[in-house]
Amino acid sequence: MNKISESVIKLDHAGKTSGSTWYVADFPADGMLFGKLVYSKKPRAHLIEIKTPPLPEGYLIVDKNDVPGKNEVHVVLDDTPVFADKTVEFIGDPILMVVGPVEKEVKRIASAVEITYEDLPAVFDMRESETVFFEYKYNKGDTAKAFAEADMIIEETLRTGRQEHAYIETQGIIAAPDGSGVMLHGSIQCPYYVNRAVAKVLGVPGENVRVIQDPTGGAFGGKEDFPSMVASQASVAAVKAGKPVRLIFDRAEDMEYTSKRHPSVNTYRAAVKDGRITAMDIDVLYDAGAYTTLSAVVLQRGIICASGVYTIPNLAVRGRAVKTNTVPNGALRGFGGPQTFFCIEMMMDHIAAKLNVDSLDLKLAHLAQEGDTTSTGGKYHFPVPLKDMVAEVVRNSDYRAKHAEYTEPQTGRYRRGIGMSLFFHGAGFTGSGERELIKAVARLHKFADGRVEILATSTDMGQGLKTTLTKIVANELGLPLEKVLFGDPDTSRMPDSGPTVASRSVMIVGELLRRAAETLRTDWKDGEDQDITEHYREPDFIIPFHLDTFTGDAYVTYSWGVNALEVLVDTLTGVSTVTGSWGCFDVGTIIDENIVKGQMEGGVMQGIGYASMEQIDSDASGRIRNRTFSDYIIPTSMDVTNLHVCNHIAEYPAGPYGAKGAGELPLVGIPASYTEAMEVALETKIGHIPYTIEDAMKALTGGDSK
Amino acid sequence: MIFTLNGEKTEYQGPLNARLLDVLRDEYRLTGVKCGCKEGECGSCSVLLDGILVNSCMVAMGRAAGSDVVTIEGYSKTDRFAALDKAYASVSAVQCGFCIPGMILASECVLRKYPHPTEAQIREGISGNLCRCTGYNAIVHAIQIASREGEGLW
Amino acid sequence: MVTSYIPADLNEALAIRAREPVTLYGGGTDLMIEASDDASYLFLGKLPELRGIRDDDSYIRIGSECTFTEIIENSLTPAILREAASGIGGPAIRNLGTIGGNIGNGSPKADSVLILFAANASVVLKSVRGDRTVPVRDFYLGKRKIDLKDDEIITEVLLPRFGLSNYSYTKIGARKAQAISRVAFAGILDLENGRIKNCSVAFGAVSDKVICRPDIDAMLIGLSLPEASEKKAEYLEAFDKAIVPIAGRISAEYRKTVCMNLLKDFIEKNGI
Repeated sequence: MNKISESVIKLDHAGKTSGSTWYVADFPADGMLFGKLVYSKKPRAHLIEIKTPPLPEGYLIVDKNDVPGKNEVHVVLDDTPVFADKTVEFIGDPILMVVGPVEKEVKRIASAVEITYEDLPAVFDMRESETVFFEYKYNKGDTAKAFAEADMIIEETLRTGRQEHAYIETQGIIAAPDGSGVMLHGSIQCPYYVNRAVAKVLGVPGENVRVIQDPTGGAFGGKEDFPSMVASQASVAAVKAGKPVRLIFDRAEDMEYTSKRHPSVNTYRAAVKDGRITAMDIDVLYDAGAYTTLSAVVLQRGIICASGVYTIPNLAVRGRAVKTNTVPNGALRGFGGPQTFFCIEMMMDHIAAKLNVDSLDLKLAHLAQEGDTTSTGGKYHFPVPLKDMVAEVVRNSDYRAKHAEYTEPQTGRYRRGIGMSLFFHGAGFTGSGERELIKAVARLHKFADGRVEILATSTDMGQGLKTTLTKIVANELGLPLEKVLFGDPDTSRMPDSGPTVASRSVMIVGELLRRAAETLRTDWKDGEDQDITEHYREPDFIIPFHLDTFTGDAYVTYSWGVNALEVLVDTLTGVSTVTGSWGCFDVGTIIDENIVKGQMEGGVMQGIGYASMEQIDSDASGRIRNRTFSDYIIPTSMDVTNLHVCNHIAEYPAGPYGAKGAGELPLVGIPASYTEAMEVALETKIGHIPYTIEDAMKALTGGDSK
Repeated sequence: MIFTLNGEKTEYQGPLNARLLDVLRDEYRLTGVKCGCKEGECGSCSVLLDGILVNSCMVAMGRAAGSDVVTIEGYSKTDRFAALDKAYASVSAVQCGFCIPGMILASECVLRKYPHPTEAQIREGISGNLCRCTGYNAIVHAIQIASREGEGLW
Repeated sequence: MVTSYIPADLNEALAIRAREPVTLYGGGTDLMIEASDDASYLFLGKLPELRGIRDDDSYIRIGSECTFTEIIENSLTPAILREAASGIGGPAIRNLGTIGGNIGNGSPKADSVLILFAANASVVLKSVRGDRTVPVRDFYLGKRKIDLKDDEIITEVLLPRFGLSNYSYTKIGARKAQAISRVAFAGILDLENGRIKNCSVAFGAVSDKVICRPDIDAMLIGLSLPEASEKKAEYLEAFDKAIVPIAGRISAEYRKTVCMNLLKDFIEKNGI
């Protein structure tokens, strides 16, 4: 094990345990105005009239008319308004903001605003949508020929539901007018995304928008694009009011109106010849919600992953992200991957059942290997360690023996099941994003006294980035950790190292910093201030990805995962207990053992939640009905008590000390291990998640469990 | 009304129907007490009320009259906190940290009741504190370590 | 300006209650979810008359302001109530939540109330006008309404001291802790000299009121186990008709299936 892997005490530990660390809501509110958004109550309508109650001194209304620049929040495209203009497109579309000195009064005024709507026809079911935001297609080989020659064709429709991030700290931004621009801080994953969005909204240069990331209480993708909306609203208000504005969401508005994981409906068609899968025709449909936000990239990743860890020689894959009048969906750990990994794993499982072969054996027989062509015509440039990882998980979980036992007819009140899933996470931004869009920059500043400061806008949201990036630089320079500083990301002082997404930060930004440190070490001048800047360079081995043909290396490399999961089901009630989960994850060299372990365990838990208890219901108007922690159910400490993770290390030569992306991998493939286990326990076929206790009960009573 | 706040006798003059959570954060500036949901589900607002674990968002000030309130700010000055803090650090149980002040107080209540708890007792003791980052394993492990290393403290 | 009150003793509390429209505040764990600035609370939690658990010849007497933690930790508490209380919320909720509050909420999902129905418990109500004791089964009027007069306070809960030890309790929530009931079942069977002295089942969280049908249970009372077995089909059919669940977060169909499964399992494992 690399020496750097040895765990250290996390650099943000002490402030967090003592309660002294300030998150955005902890900043003193003296002299600040409170902001409260007023949202559309209609899924789609013309805004006819807005009647605001008389405003006491010091209270104001902020709406589209107050936007100094463009009433558009830039995400990838610019269709999300800061405040609704002529129409509202989903229940939760922000229409205006009430701002004032006393929070109670602000809320009172907000609830007294009367809005007259003219209803427009709305769409809630993605299958009925006629607005295709994005469509991509790719092909490999000759699927028509393969299907013509097949001796068996299997077709399935597989569905996945929404998921809510449920970070324990809600969205929050404080914005203050600053010269012709603003200074703002808050719960943010991507300071420069916010910087660019707010600059456009205010109509000022980027240098006039200073964005600082405060310690952030969880994000998981939910604070990737959404803070740009919140920051735009707060900034417009601050400029209008001439005073700082504090916009902190309460739990209900956060759960009902902020981005979720895209739900999906997918059709998989497989051709089998002589027991081998020769082709797949896959149609992926993602519900983007009302605005485009991140759907283009989520969809790209989803369809890239559609054939999973398998080499299928002939592929025809089509993906569409369509509009519905519901909350715009965005990034959530896995970013489009978890949906299709659920589908491909269950498809393999069902093909095995049709062929009367063991599911794991079928999967192992089709595993991708180093040198194989990827789904999009790229290449697996590095070893694929899945066989060894499967063997490890089989050993740890006793999968083979249990699977054999549990697939025999079971009697009695309780039934057991075990399932296994195999998956990857393409590390880094999809396609040519790193090279063409992000162009990450990281800098080291050495003070005359020998301390070194990391200047990068990569954010720690709990995943330990403050500590891991510091470790990398300290290790390269041979300095103790205390001599390396890494303050809160601040766009006024630090270059754009890219968004903290896509599990890219250690692998890409960490490598930039390591190279900068390496350069500094060789050029070290005692007693002098020095600056070393590093720019992202795409590795030479990459087959460039082109979005128009959808071909090439979608990712520079892959992190690999295997998970076995065991359940116990009560046939009287349909209630299932996860009695064991055994994961093995390859994230390359581990930069900190405890940090990586924490990421693996947390990700697996979220994956189990996504597959089972985390169910978002909507009413007939597409409004999300889960508005509290008592009706959006996430796991407690008592729900999964036997959760194990271990690591396999396949070093990535272009990552710092061999490290690859880690954050998202442990969630991505978990759901199928749960549903495969439930299939065994219930002797049924499962094609959707979340798979709930009601679904289980229907399967037990012989009803339709789809 | 009069109550004791982190060991100090304190006179409170505001409305008795105000939320303890809001009063602690806004009036007494004890921002270590976090607000995650305001409905008693997440536990990030946990404080000790007369020595027992409660969600301060569920307590109206009138209920705290004559009572002893301890927040993470007060608790963090104790030897028991030092033992838990060290244990949590050793397994990097703190990720985003938002659940942590409440979780530490819940840990105190587990060890107060069971100085040598079983894993099941630990998991039940923290079952009212939601964590979205860790999957709970590291936190459970930290409490076990504190119980071992903190011999004589509980 | 809204006034809340911290009464020194029960008499003072009753006087205030008779005089003004106050909101009774026990543990606060239901009230504070929808807390209003205009609420005028009457804080009952520290009143000595409402605390403590005692027994007399016939009853276990639980003060209405006993918290669930106190109920769980008291050796006098019947096991069936201890088990149900242990499943309420999480530790912090149990530390504050009171049995009086659980009853006063009027909800069919109240975990302790299910037990009180099955056990045929009673509540003692006091006001400036005097006392009354009402069986819990009569106290609940349906649709979250209870027979609590505007000047009354629940002071005690009375559980039969004997006959509760052979029981079955199942709560189905969405997860293993901090879960609101989706279906709950409590069953008590008391045998004496080979005959069924008492049979009592109750179904919670499936309708707007706890479903408890002593008239159907009466079918089995006084019978021996073999005699009861002959009545089994009739008994189950009677409950099949009586249990009409409403849909909530979970379907009526699920609720019905599970209620019947748990009922059948309960009587079968008792030899019927």
